Amino acid sequence: MTRGRAGALAVAAALLLLSLALGFLAGGVRLSLPDLFSGQGPAGETARLIASLRFPRVLLAALVGGCLALAGAALQALLKNPLADPFLLGTSGGAATGAALAVMAGLSPFLSPAAAFAGAVVASLGVAAMARRGGRLDLQRLLLAGLIANAFFSALLLLVFSVVSGEAARTMIFWMMGSLADATPGRALVLLPYAAAAGAVLLLSASRLNLFAVGEENAAALGVDTEKSKGIVFLAASLLTGAAVAFAGVIGFVGLLVPHAARSAVGNDQRVLLPVSAIAGAALLVAADALARSLFTPAELPIGAVTAAVGAPLFAWMLLRNR
Amino acid sequence: MTILRARGLEASYGPTPALAGVDADVEKGEIAAVLGENGSGKSTLLKVLARIVPASAGEVRLDDRPLASMPRRETARRIAYVPQSVDLVFPIRALDLVLQGRAPHNRGFASDSPEDRRRALEAMRACDVESLAERDASALSGGEQRRVFLARALAQDADVWLLDEPASGLDPRHRLELLEILARAHRERRATILLVTHEIDLAADLADRVLLLRSGRTLAQGPPAEVLTPENLRRAFSVESRIEVDSAGRRRWVPVAPAR
Repeated sequence: MTRGRAGALAVAAALLLLSLALGFLAGGVRLSLPDLFSGQGPAGETARLIASLRFPRVLLAALVGGCLALAGAALQALLKNPLADPFLLGTSGGAATGAALAVMAGLSPFLSPAAAFAGAVVASLGVAAMARRGGRLDLQRLLLAGLIANAFFSALLLLVFSVVSGEAARTMIFWMMGSLADATPGRALVLLPYAAAAGAVLLLSASRLNLFAVGEENAAALGVDTEKSKGIVFLAASLLTGAAVAFAGVIGFVGLLVPHAARSAVGNDQRVLLPVSAIAGAALLVAADALARSLFTPAELPIGAVTAAVGAPLFAWMLLRNR
Repeated sequence: MTILRARGLEASYGPTPALAGVDADVEKGEIAAVLGENGSGKSTLLKVLARIVPASAGEVRLDDRPLASMPRRETARRIAYVPQSVDLVFPIRALDLVLQGRAPHNRGFASDSPEDRRRALEAMRACDVESLAERDASALSGGEQRRVFLARALAQDADVWLLDEPASGLDPRHRLELLEILARAHRERRATILLVTHEIDLAADLADRVLLLRSGRTLAQGPPAEVLTPENLRRAFSVESRIEVDSAGRRRWVPVAPAR
């Protein structure tokens, strides 16, 4: 590891620490660091109690943000397309529809994440099947198939939405707009192994993705088994996206924006870009969630709206700067 | 000694056939030129040999070993492919692009050990692009980019180079420079070169052997003087032509009219 790479990772990690602190301290009740760590008596106890209540939510936000940003970064390199987004590939629509169908069928809310995950897997496999051509996974067709799947699933979602009761509809909005309000330690712990396993697969693919970022033919000419690599990366990215959506609904912009911002900071070496994107994605979502909880207390803003409201101007600024 | 041998090679893009039975033999250390009109399958032939496009029938042998049974990474250590041009969407340093040539030699396709860097810079020096090492390759001119990719083939340390139209689209000076570098590298590394070109005179000057393709099939192959006859060229390009000899004693091809 070169000094530049270690430095980039250290800066990203420092950002994450800052936003984790913000995540614990901000909210309906504002905490102070002295209260939290050395506070005596009721003030200190209250502070620690609130922090422990916030802990699963902060952890979930970090995991979801990391999953989405890492999946987005890997897909951008694989597809050689800076506009690739994990939600473009149909996974998110499938997950939201899976959850909605579970709600409509009256299944226990505990099963919703499982249903969302199943929906994501079905959607990804369907998209991959549509994108196959002559026995190969065609990356151009993959994007088109993803668009088709997303259009189909949003239609399905609206249809379900219009026939269910008010209570069920409210649950469904959760999946469509994204929320971290249902965070429990259990949910965060279930997400952790998925995130770790699929994330490790992508990080280990970083050198191959460097070759894909110049083009699929480039990777093939340099000895990469491209069909195998495409399948592995697509599957791992879909798993990360599906798992994130299963627990937090559809939170847009993180998977698109974070890799972009990270790329302009550290360059396009995937061995640096992928881990930096994951850490920065975690930091962004934790901070965005802290804002969503504390800006208009007691009301809570939809997290997806916050990421887009912060993300879009940031994107515009990056665009204007490169004019 | 035959290093590369293709027999009955077929390949297609979806339903469109691109190769319909190509036979080719390339001797170790020689320069072979692949000629043919647009759509005759020249570029596809290179891509099949580089294992970018799979063959649907036929066989390629490298040193008498079937290419299909060779691990891909081993193929990439033996055969380097230099594309005509690459659309670089993401920024990448020219040095990093050349370093990618080392990927097939390393575990996990990593490519930046000190030894890799030494070889990459040496290859860039040989191609007169060492001064561009830190520049963004996507901002380089066509001629510079072509030389950077050639440097990558050198860094790859392969003994067979497949070049897709290496000199096309370059102005006269850059064209001559590139051909000079290519000739020098060929001499020094004793590589076998298979290059696709549209320029019949270039093939006649440079190549030891010419492979003439028409509609995905081999029309003729052999030494330039034997293959590049007006009769063969009429069949390959549908053009009436004559061969002239210039003041330096080189054979020049002069197209006259479309063949009826």
